[in-house]
Amino acid sequence: MNQTTETSPRPLSARIGGGILLTAAIAIAVEASTFEVAFLTDPVGPKALPLLVAAILAAGGLAQLFRPDIDVAWPESAVLTRMAGAAGSFVGYAVVLPYVGFFLSTTAVVTALSLLYGGPPLKGTLAAAALSGALWLLFVSVLGLPLPIGDLWMR
Amino acid sequence: MDALTHLISGFAIALQPLNLGLAFVGVFVGTFVGMLPGIGPINAIAILIPVTFAAGLPPESALILLTGIYYGSQYGNSISTILLNVPGTASAVVTAIDGHAMTKAGRGGPALAMSAIASFFGGTVSIFALVLFAPVLAGWAIRFGPAEYFALMVFAFSALSSFSGGSLMRGLAATAFGLFLATVGLDPNSAIPRFTFGSLQLLDGMDFVVVTIGLFAVSEVIQLLEDTEGGQAAAVGYGRVMISAKEFAETGWTMVRGSVIGFLVGVLPGAGGTIASFLAYSTEERINGANGTFGEGDIRGVAAPEAANNAAANGAMIPLLTLGVPGSGTTAVLLGAMLGLGVTPGPLLITEQPDLFWGLAASMYIGNIFLLMLNLPLVGFFVKALTLPRWFLIPGVAALAFVAVYAVNGSSFDLVMMTGFGVVGYLMRKFSFPLAPVILGLVLGPLMEKSLRRAMALSGGDWRILFDSPIAITLWVLALASLLAPALIARKGVPAE
Repeated sequence: MNQTTETSPRPLSARIGGGILLTAAIAIAVEASTFEVAFLTDPVGPKALPLLVAAILAAGGLAQLFRPDIDVAWPESAVLTRMAGAAGSFVGYAVVLPYVGFFLSTTAVVTALSLLYGGPPLKGTLAAAALSGALWLLFVSVLGLPLPIGDLWMR
Repeated sequence: MDALTHLISGFAIALQPLNLGLAFVGVFVGTFVGMLPGIGPINAIAILIPVTFAAGLPPESALILLTGIYYGSQYGNSISTILLNVPGTASAVVTAIDGHAMTKAGRGGPALAMSAIASFFGGTVSIFALVLFAPVLAGWAIRFGPAEYFALMVFAFSALSSFSGGSLMRGLAATAFGLFLATVGLDPNSAIPRFTFGSLQLLDGMDFVVVTIGLFAVSEVIQLLEDTEGGQAAAVGYGRVMISAKEFAETGWTMVRGSVIGFLVGVLPGAGGTIASFLAYSTEERINGANGTFGEGDIRGVAAPEAANNAAANGAMIPLLTLGVPGSGTTAVLLGAMLGLGVTPGPLLITEQPDLFWGLAASMYIGNIFLLMLNLPLVGFFVKALTLPRWFLIPGVAALAFVAVYAVNGSSFDLVMMTGFGVVGYLMRKFSFPLAPVILGLVLGPLMEKSLRRAMALSGGDWRILFDSPIAITLWVLALASLLAPALIARKGVPAE
């Protein structure tokens, strides 16, 4: 079951990607040019490698901008929404983790992800809670690695 | 013989109960994680590095655990390749051809047994080669100055860019991206902050565990949403996990050839395992093609790439251990782990830390025996784990990745970075950019820049120092040759994967 709808070459995607790469290369070069050479004993200085990097990225970007050779098959919009949901839930996890603590936030993010993968809600939640508990036991009790309890419960 | 006494003392270290137990745990956990859909060795190691650090083991024990994971994950990858036809790495693609054909014919069991035996065979041959050649190479590399190191790293970069599949331009761009990430943070030479934009968290630079897990594991978790039903193992019938004496005899020379090819290719930088398995497979096809059924489930089509793949994995340890310069994404992650443990691999490693080197070599062998003992009887267990639904397996992998990333610095900022790299990794996959060169660039970048700046400081800014010795010139020629090689091979009509 492949849900990708578009399989024909999409030079537009490649051109846009090339443009972004080129912009990034220019930004790197501009930023790198502000790195002042500190010592005479260091003839290469801190800007040589970033400038080389920028040159390679610019060449890659220009190639795609003017002679695109990449076929990009984007998935349909429902799938893209699910992907954005997954990435969003990871960022949300990072934000709430210190406050709510490891157990609840991990249970929530794993449940969300398993729903996105089409899992059953109740079984998914139970599995997520069991997994979070097991990870807590493994890392905190066995390996002695601190995981956040949550500032909310500490007051 | 000198190497033999050292190896015996190495076995004394590897056979200590703790190390023996760690080799077992590493191989078992590695097989399990490496088997999960789309995960593969590089993720298995990156996810388990923080766990290894957290356990507070002495360096040689931690390395024994990590190399166990390295081997185990290779084999775990073979299990999902043969049974499900979802190779987690490019080097397993060849195994999928005949391996999965055997599964479809109800002979998955013999294919898995063959894979374990061929891996053991390739591993054994290449470990002996490693023990013989590593000290020689180390003795030779001791004369390397910063200019030679710089040229060597350029060679490693150009080889991986050029052989990592697809276009050279995209391979080079991926390497450049990795080098860029390496420059983020405080420049150790001039104390200038580079690309930190005033952020304190970025001042320490990018952590390779965060980048690797983001680029590989998180992007895979996102990408797999495109196909939530695929790759699900319906409890496949695979028969007895055994091969007959006749099959063993039939594949003997195949394994010998595969091991030798694998080792020789593996020592060179670039996509060692991938090229090795393709080369071993096509050699067998050429020799036995007339009286075989290659492509339709010939057992030699499993034996050749599996022996070659494993031999290449060990061969790749040689440049890593003796030069400190890895040639692949996976060994780059291992180098990052070594540096994190306070071990600096290089020509002096064997003489200055003999316990570590020889203990590691011996435990590689023991790890191979464990793999064989573990995988033949436990295949049923692993297959059962594979039949767990995706909605359970993938979020489970993600949770493990989160803990691993959080464990690096105890900071949730790293989780945001990881997600960012996950999105970048997904886009790179969509635009067919290879991911492994990014990791190599990130891990080797600081060393390369340091070598270049030291060489130039020595010569007072004269660029000719970079081409001043026969060794350096040879390495520059090799770097150039590796850039041109795929184009030349493609012209001959051989697929340059």
